[in-house]
Amino acid sequence: MGGKLNKKLKSLLERKKGSIVEKWRKVIHSSYPPETAQFLKSQKDRFHNPIGSSIEESIWPLFDEIIGDSDPVKTKKLLDTLVRIRAVQDFTPASAVRIIFALKEIIRGEILNEVESEGLYKAYLDFESEIDRFGLLSFDVFMECREKVWEIKRNDLLKRPGLLSAGMCPSYMMKRGFKHLEKLKKGVTQH
Amino acid sequence: MAKELTPQEMLRIDLSPPTKDWMDIPTVIKPGIYCYPAKPEKVEIVGMPNGHVWSPLDDDWGLPEDWKETFLEGMRERLDKHRSFKIFMDICVRCGACADKCHFFLGSGDPKNMPVARAELLRSVYRGEFTKAGKILGRLAGGRKLTEDVLKEIWYYLFQCTECRRCSLFCPYGIDTAEVTIIGRELINLFGLNINWIQEPVANCYETGNHLGLLPHTFKQNVEFMCMDIEEFVGITIEPPFNRKGAEILFVTPSGDVFAEPGIYTLSGYLLLFEHIGLDYTWSTYASEGGNFGFFTALDMAQRLNAKIYAEAKRLGVKWILGGECGHMWRVVHQYMNTFNGPPDFLEEPVNPITGTKFENAKSAKMVHITEFTADLIKHGKLKLNPKRNEHLKVTFHDSCNPSRGMGMFEEPRYVIKNVCPNFYDMPESTIREQTFCCGSGAGLNAGENMELRLRGGLPRANAVKYVHERFGVNTLACVCAIDRAVLPASMEYWVPEVDVAGVSELVGNALVMEGEHERTVDLRGRELPQFAQESQESAESGEEVK
Repeated sequence: MGGKLNKKLKSLLERKKGSIVEKWRKVIHSSYPPETAQFLKSQKDRFHNPIGSSIEESIWPLFDEIIGDSDPVKTKKLLDTLVRIRAVQDFTPASAVRIIFALKEIIRGEILNEVESEGLYKAYLDFESEIDRFGLLSFDVFMECREKVWEIKRNDLLKRPGLLSAGMCPSYMMKRGFKHLEKLKKGVTQH
Repeated sequence: MAKELTPQEMLRIDLSPPTKDWMDIPTVIKPGIYCYPAKPEKVEIVGMPNGHVWSPLDDDWGLPEDWKETFLEGMRERLDKHRSFKIFMDICVRCGACADKCHFFLGSGDPKNMPVARAELLRSVYRGEFTKAGKILGRLAGGRKLTEDVLKEIWYYLFQCTECRRCSLFCPYGIDTAEVTIIGRELINLFGLNINWIQEPVANCYETGNHLGLLPHTFKQNVEFMCMDIEEFVGITIEPPFNRKGAEILFVTPSGDVFAEPGIYTLSGYLLLFEHIGLDYTWSTYASEGGNFGFFTALDMAQRLNAKIYAEAKRLGVKWILGGECGHMWRVVHQYMNTFNGPPDFLEEPVNPITGTKFENAKSAKMVHITEFTADLIKHGKLKLNPKRNEHLKVTFHDSCNPSRGMGMFEEPRYVIKNVCPNFYDMPESTIREQTFCCGSGAGLNAGENMELRLRGGLPRANAVKYVHERFGVNTLACVCAIDRAVLPASMEYWVPEVDVAGVSELVGNALVMEGEHERTVDLRGRELPQFAQESQESAESGEEVK
């Protein structure tokens, strides 16, 4: 995936990896209300902090994927770990995947001076495009998760014992169903 | 409450949520989180007030004019009636011990789902409307007045609690937030704000004896349908007894086992077990529901729906009652039934007719859990089992909240599973037994429209399942609850799709070596057994137990 990262820029990013990813984690935590952000930061047990631990498990290797020769399967799995939870939480699609794009602002703050002094602007712009690609990929993952939620909802609906929940016998329901179909054909949708 | 976004709001992709005091952060009711309101006719059938058509997304919820007085009067009555409720309103010091123990908080990240905060929604009204300090000082004393917005917020979060009681385990004062939810739900039912996923089963149960509304002939036919499956997959004919007077034992199970997949395979397990030991028992097409959604509505409704079990036991003249795999059913049986509708002096102390074991724990209520019963049979070597049939399964066990925290049943299911499945792996200690995480859909929240909520609530459990799946290759999540069997497949499909869900009795049924059976090449679901080849009878060992 993506083009080769400029060597100088890569070593600069590797050097700054710790502070970049820590700031990234903080930004992701801060997308939750303050009480929750505090909790996500302090609870280290993965079984008692599934959101925090999934963030921790994914952001470090994801950063390596972004600056390295990313493996599509691994990248998608990591993005899945990060986004799957957000796809069922109180986020709009944009704020769910915004956390990937936020990386650009964080990295700019960390290395822009050196990018300027080392004359790495072009390489840096290419690198930002790479982050954009990861951001878009995370939207794919988000949509797959949402599609899955709807698929589960649909299956759940189909599995419901609707025939019997109204306490009717199946043959009566079938007759009622036929009447309903006739009404629909006549354009009467309310019943 | 839910409004259309303005163009400016649409463009704002803010990563920072508001940092105001919780009382100043308005609750936005969102689709995917709430369940549809109760249908008016289902409210009226059971004589509850103000059945009406309304939507949580509308501004007008169709409340009666005197709703506020009704709520506060109802609250006053319950504060007087339930000493525990009054104490829970007064003594919380907001230490935060419970804050991070709720599966909905852990899965949603919404601080109003911290148990302390959820109870605070009601507690703030208590302070603002009932205590001197709250009336005079208002917010300074943590109090607020009951308004329509406050009511809507309370309603929204009352249905984001599954009454699992995990939080109560960690409260140094023993505050049971589930009881706060129970009372809160009673209050909103005083003016018709129940959800349909609870109300319709309640109405069905009142009319037909079970949540699904199965009429007696349908109930009977469904059980017989599973007998046809057994005939095909096992090769024996079972003729289960229904409404048989003079039977020794009445068997009652949740109706989900009779109709919903994969619960029906658990039912096949029961049928095989009873046939295997020649049990003198009967099904009832009237006491055809062990579960009790009345419990999620109001305590008196729970009492009304529960009454049929003892009444039917009396009518049929049985000695005692055996209960199937269910969750909240066992909280009601274990902690309420005896005082709701008992004591059932016409019944005898339960004794296992095959082993002679007295079930001392059921001495008073006279109802025994099927897993205790099965464990006792295995312990006494009364079952002929071939665990190899379950060899392809790597099993873990989900402790359902109520049988574990509500009645202390931890070891029996594990003992049974280990005796019928060669590969068993427990999840981490802090996620099982009394500390178990809820399935995320209990207490009547197992609807489909609130799937996002269910998936959030199911995350902590699924997270632990994922761990044993990755570490040991676990592919089966066993449980002893009908709601678990109905909802965990959805949760697994989203979080850990490689894992399937099965009832413990289904696993027992697969392993049971039945007299006169043909070679078992498929399981009770009709799926081919990968290793059926040379095992069968010669490896079947009678009564050899695993500790």
